[in-house]
Amino acid sequence: MNNGAIVTGAGLSKQFGDLRVVKDVSLSINRGEFVCLVGKSGSGKTTLLSLLSGLERPTEGHVKINGTDITGSNENELALFRRENVGFIFQSFNLIPTLSAWENVALPLFPIKMPGEERKRRATGLLERMELGGRLDHLPSALSGGEKQRVAIARALVNHPKIIFADEPTGNLDSTTGGAIMEILRELHRQAGVAILMVTHAAEYANSADRLIRMQDGAILS
Amino acid sequence: MNLRYLKNELWRQRRRTLTAVIGLSIGIALLIIINALAMAYRGAARAPLREIGADITAQRPGDVPKEMTGAVFPCSAVTIRAEQAQRIQELPGVRGIGRAVLLWVFDPDRAWIALGIEQQNSVGPSVLRNSVTEGRFLEPGKTESLVESGYARQFGIKVGDVISVGDREYPVVGLLDASRAAKIAVANVYLPLDEAQRIAASSKQVQSVSPFAPNDVNLLFIQADQAKIPELSSTLRDVLGEKATIGSPDSFLKLLGSLFALSDKFTYAVSLIAIFVAVLIAFKTMAGAVTERAREIGVLKAVGWANRDVVTQLLAESIVQCLAAGVLGLLAALIAAYGLSFLTVNIPIPWEMSPKPHFLPGGGDQLFKTLRLPVHIPWTLAAFAILLSVVIGGGAGALLGRNISRIKPSEVLRHE
Repeated sequence: MNNGAIVTGAGLSKQFGDLRVVKDVSLSINRGEFVCLVGKSGSGKTTLLSLLSGLERPTEGHVKINGTDITGSNENELALFRRENVGFIFQSFNLIPTLSAWENVALPLFPIKMPGEERKRRATGLLERMELGGRLDHLPSALSGGEKQRVAIARALVNHPKIIFADEPTGNLDSTTGGAIMEILRELHRQAGVAILMVTHAAEYANSADRLIRMQDGAILS
Repeated sequence: MNLRYLKNELWRQRRRTLTAVIGLSIGIALLIIINALAMAYRGAARAPLREIGADITAQRPGDVPKEMTGAVFPCSAVTIRAEQAQRIQELPGVRGIGRAVLLWVFDPDRAWIALGIEQQNSVGPSVLRNSVTEGRFLEPGKTESLVESGYARQFGIKVGDVISVGDREYPVVGLLDASRAAKIAVANVYLPLDEAQRIAASSKQVQSVSPFAPNDVNLLFIQADQAKIPELSSTLRDVLGEKATIGSPDSFLKLLGSLFALSDKFTYAVSLIAIFVAVLIAFKTMAGAVTERAREIGVLKAVGWANRDVVTQLLAESIVQCLAAGVLGLLAALIAAYGLSFLTVNIPIPWEMSPKPHFLPGGGDQLFKTLRLPVHIPWTLAAFAILLSVVIGGGAGALLGRNISRIKPSEVLRHE
């Protein structure tokens, strides 16, 4: 699938002190494309994902998301940009422990002026899609790992993102649950046409992507 | 700011919320109760004078009478000239003045402590009309007397009897319970002022120690603007002499001996410490909570919360917590104030202000005005405490929120 680039990184480098974690990386992810980023620990996968998603600023290079160069944006502009264009799924779910499942899903909508009922409607709709309709008011502490990750996926979708950045989404899950989560992501990709950039260690999941990018020592191998 | 998030955060992290709220409420309660206590002592110090219808009393000390015969002035209260009294009445800040003459009258068969009072005046001992237990109060233009009820009981004096004081007889028209009134200028017998002035003016003993004209007095009761009382106390010494005895709320406050009564500076210092402790507790607990939530803040920013959204949320949480702490502190202070209001305070009355010959029974005893400590929390103090809580909450929330909102989400989410 190639409908034009949704994310483009050009000449990206990131240096922490003397350590150069990402070295002159250029890559594009097309609209609706499912890309897996693989590599050993410390190869720079997560840092590259952070650079492309606007969580981290590159030391060198430029990032464009949906046609907008975000390299020079300040923190607030980046936050607003992420709210409108990007969804995140983290390895350890990162749900807010004091909020119920539907409230966690609605979290990105809290700063947006909209009726509370509309927020809840959107959040519960997504949770039902994730087959969590019976867990709407449960706190994260009352959910299993797979359920937590499905809540996190719903949260990533609530703002209708153009791309989802998933950092080891199955890393904290057993193989069965991990497989189920991967099936949900593939389904999202197929049905909603959302582009996905996923960092993973698991070769069986990586092989199901449209494209596989391998990293080593901060550089792209293929 | 999202109210649902705010409510959940405070309610579902109850231990953290309670630690912050209780810690700060202790500081706020301490601040309120210290100031309420200081005000209570100040109120108690005003009581002896207020009960005699005055804010300040003035008298001049003089020589000890050479002989204890006939009418004499106590050495603590000698002549105040009519023109001096007039000058005092015209001083700025003086709202009213009451005149009196206090005499010891040594008759062959009885010694009297006699107080000549104005029959119609809202300032000074004429307020004793409220302490009449039998008969009536003195009426203008009549030559009559009131007798203190304890003294009357001791000597079998009844309303309708005629008593002899000095060279004249006075029908007893009423009995008066001095224990109900202030302990200042307590006498056995109360006469019209002009009668006491006549007795003093005609007494050789008085004239030999302190020349006295028929319109002079030896006690003044002054009602004054509250703000002018300290200034007036020193101005009165300019009129009556440096040795004049000036009774004022401040002088009673010093006699109380309480730390709260001794000095406003002590109250201010302890209040400042209480505020400092409250601020410290608020900052420490909230800083700890905010640091614990660094990862959560990182998630908020990652999913699109701008810095101002984070700051507003933390600010609202902080203000609500501190407001709750203010209300809790106020409630605790109200309970403490209620408990403290059962305390009694004994205010010593200086002998000079209620002189009694030492050789009479009880003459050397220290007099006390005993009253319940009037501890109450004025709405202005309550409002200040609540406002202070909100300001502390606002300051802590804004400062900590601003700091934590600067973190980069990638920094706190990096371990992924």
